[in-house]
Formats: sequence, structure tokens, C-alpha cells
Amino acid sequence: MATSLIPDPFQMWREALTKLEGNVNSLVTGGMDSQELMRSVHQLSNLSLGMQQAFEKAIGSYLARVNLPSRKDVSDLAAALQRVEDKLDRLLPASAAPAAPRPPRTRRPPPEEVAPAPAIESAAPAKASRRAKTATTRSRRRS
Amino acid sequence: MSASTTKERPPEPGLTERLRLEVERAVQRSLKGVELFGAPPPTVGRTAKTVLHRRGTLSLYHYHATADEIYRVPLLCVMAPTNKAYILDLAPGQSLIEFLLARGYDVYMMDWNAPGDDERDLKIEDYVLDFIPDCLRRVQQDSGEDEVTLVGYCAGGMLSTIHVALTPEGPVKNLVCFTTPVDFSKMNLFRSMSDAKVFDVDKLVDSVGIIPADMVVAGFDALRPASRVAGQLRLWDNLWNDEFVKGFRMMDRWGNETLPLPGGYFRQTVKELLRGNALYEGTLRIGGRLVDLGKIKVPFLHVIAQYDHIVPPACAQPLVQRVGSRDKEEVMLPGGHVSIAAGPNAVKRMWPKLDSWLQKRST
Repeated sequence: MATSLIPDPFQMWREALTKLEGNVNSLVTGGMDSQELMRSVHQLSNLSLGMQQAFEKAIGSYLARVNLPSRKDVSDLAAALQRVEDKLDRLLPASAAPAAPRPPRTRRPPPEEVAPAPAIESAAPAKASRRAKTATTRSRRRS
Repeated sequence: MSASTTKERPPEPGLTERLRLEVERAVQRSLKGVELFGAPPPTVGRTAKTVLHRRGTLSLYHYHATADEIYRVPLLCVMAPTNKAYILDLAPGQSLIEFLLARGYDVYMMDWNAPGDDERDLKIEDYVLDFIPDCLRRVQQDSGEDEVTLVGYCAGGMLSTIHVALTPEGPVKNLVCFTTPVDFSKMNLFRSMSDAKVFDVDKLVDSVGIIPADMVVAGFDALRPASRVAGQLRLWDNLWNDEFVKGFRMMDRWGNETLPLPGGYFRQTVKELLRGNALYEGTLRIGGRLVDLGKIKVPFLHVIAQYDHIVPPACAQPLVQRVGSRDKEEVMLPGGHVSIAAGPNAVKRMWPKLDSWLQKRST
């Protein structure tokens, strides 16, 4: 059996990465208890968000001035088109061909996995009435 | 004799063999790394479905049945508003939806789109008292069945739970939650981040309206700040491995497609849930009514992930204690927040458990 006594440097690197990741995560998340750190993080985040908004506003104004759509306009248009396509998909099969028949709702669990029904005395009458209601619905069910 | 009783370890490759293997992998990394740059985004969510309804941020899908005979009670899955639902339908063989269809369930899904500007004021009320009941009605109409099983993932589980607590008379027959938070005092990092002393949520919501997806992602990343970089290094290390790259890219795409959040929902989450812990304390009011988890009487299953860093077990565990159902069960499985529902461990552990629990209650 070829058992090597020399450690595998690649495997060591992988293990070191996992360990380092865990340590950094613990260290940083441990520091989040500090209000000063959290306040700084939020300030940084607000600054970044403010800059992003200002940049987007400037780009939006420029695009409007040169009469070009923004990425948001294109996305909105694509979403609107998708909605139209979805609606067409729903309407077309109904007019072109009858809907495919659905499988019957008669499946039962495998016999060996059937467990005794839980004894819920207070809920039992409500369940019975619901079952009766369901039976009515089943007779209405479309094919 | 000892050789027959003890498990033999595979022989370790020698140094020459290891070097040969690493050189081969390095070559593969270079070749596949170039391919990766030009590759289109991985295809996800391929299970055949029909869009039954779409209204702004809400989409309701019906997946096409694949079994010849299905259980009577349909399933309505509710995704968390921060993420796309295709995490439950990543790829053939890695899809909870595909599994459920093959096991004979009729599956519907409430998925979310990025909210529009006109949806900036959506609140928990809108999800719990409008979107969910609307979808339940549509599922009843489409399936012809009165009873429906609600299956909620993360915040989707929380919204489903609140809905059932407020409408215990039905039509929900069973409630299943995955990694659903209830005791927000145990979400230490999110609470630190949203502390009123360091974070003015009103100022943020009033200024942006819709919370940008980047900010939502940054919030999640802050829980494990080194993991994104470590993930990229692991990707490089495994570039030779097509299966790893495929899985990584699908998960990466899902993470990058995190959704923006309506400001109203975000404000309520921060103030009432994270700061006030109102769901756990029993002081949460939705639509003017107190949310009493004890009013939930339907059969209840809660699947918790042992190594969940987003919803730690301590945050999720009180849910099963609080609900009033007699038929209730909590299952803690090894895995993280996402791997509990999608990934090899989910295929082996969670999916079969879910099937065995549902099949007895879906007839």
C-alpha cells in the first residue's frame, strides 16, 4: 500500500482556507456587538447609497436629455412584455386546444407508511365537516 | 483477521501522483476559467409550469404534474420575499419541486418579483391578508379542492404562520415551515445591525422607498464576511470540476438575484420583529388583530437547519412550542440555511422526511 508520510500541501492549503474563513467570520461578527463599529458600518453604507443615488440621478438626467431610455426603462419594458407574453400563454391554449386532463387526486400513501391518524378530539368535527365540503367540491372539479 | 473487521482506508497517492494530479488540474483550471468568462448564466427553474397569476411583486405558478395519480390536497409554497423561488427548483436532480411532483403532489408556488415604486409601502399585512389568501383562493379554484397545504421557506414560513394564526378556520389543512424565525432576540447580528442607536430605519426607508437588493445582500454577507472571498477561492480551486462549477454558479446566480424589499415591509420587520420581538412576545398586530400562534391548530412540521447562520436554531425552535396544534413536529437536520432545502444533503435528508410527513396528511 502506497501510504505517503509527506503531507499534501494542496490539502493543507484547503484546510487552512476553511480555518481562516471561520476565524475571520468569528472575529468580524464578534466585533459587531460594538455600537461604534456598527455606527461606522451604517455611515459607510449610507454614504455609498447616497453616492449611488446621486450617480443614478445624474445618469438618468443625462439619458433623459439625450432622449435615451435608462436601464430601468428597458427593464420595465421587458417586464411589461413578459406580463403580456404570460397572459398570451394563458389565453392561447384555451382557444387552440382543450387543456390536458389532470391526473386523478386519488393517490394514497404506501400501505407500510400509513400511520394512525392523530387523535385531535376538538378538531375532529370541524375536519369531518371540511371533508364533506371537499367531497362536494370534488364533484364540481373540472376534468 | 483484523483486516476483515476494520474498514480499509484507500491508499494515499504518492507525491509524484499528487503533483501529476495538481498539474492536470491547473491545466484544466486555465482552460475552463476562460470558458467560464464567456459562459451564459446557468439555466435554473426548468420544471414545466404555468403562470397562473401575476400582480406586481407577486407571481403564482402551477407546476405541471408528472405523476399519473396525485394526492388530493395541493401544496402552496411561499418563498421569502427577499429571494427567488428557483432555489427550490435549481436543476433536474437538484429540485425539490421535481421531487415533490414525482412523489405525486400537486405543487403551486408563490414567487416574488422586484417590487415596483408603487409597492414601496407594502407591509406584512399585504402579504398575509392579501397575497396569501388571494393565492389560496386561486389554488382552490384551479385544483377544485377546498383544502391546501402551506409550505413556507424562511420569511415565507413566517408569513404563512402569521396567516394561519389569523385565519385558523381554514382553508389551510397542514402547515410546513423551513427555517422560520420566531424569536428574533436570538438573531444577534441582525439585531446589532438594526439597533435604533446606530440605525435610523425611518430615514433610510423615507429616502429610498424600496430597499435596494445590494443592501439586502450586504446585510446577509455581513453575517459571514469572509465567505464570499473564500467561495471565490474555492471556485478557483475546483475550476477543473464541472459539477462543482455548475453547482457554484447556480447558487451564485441565486445569491446575486436577491430581491429589493418594499420599504414598508422592511420598516415593520426592523421595528416590530427585530427590535420589538413582537411575534415571539405575542404583541404583533396585523390588520388590527393580535397574532396568537396558539390559534394554529392544523398539523404542523418545522424543519430547522443545525448550522443555520441566518436563522439559528435557537431563533426557530420556539415556533413548535408556541403553535397550538396537537399534531406537530420539529426536525433538526444537519445543514445550513440554504443547503437544508437545496443540495445533496437536502436530497438525502430533508426531502424524504418532508414526503413521509406530507403523504399521510395529503389524502
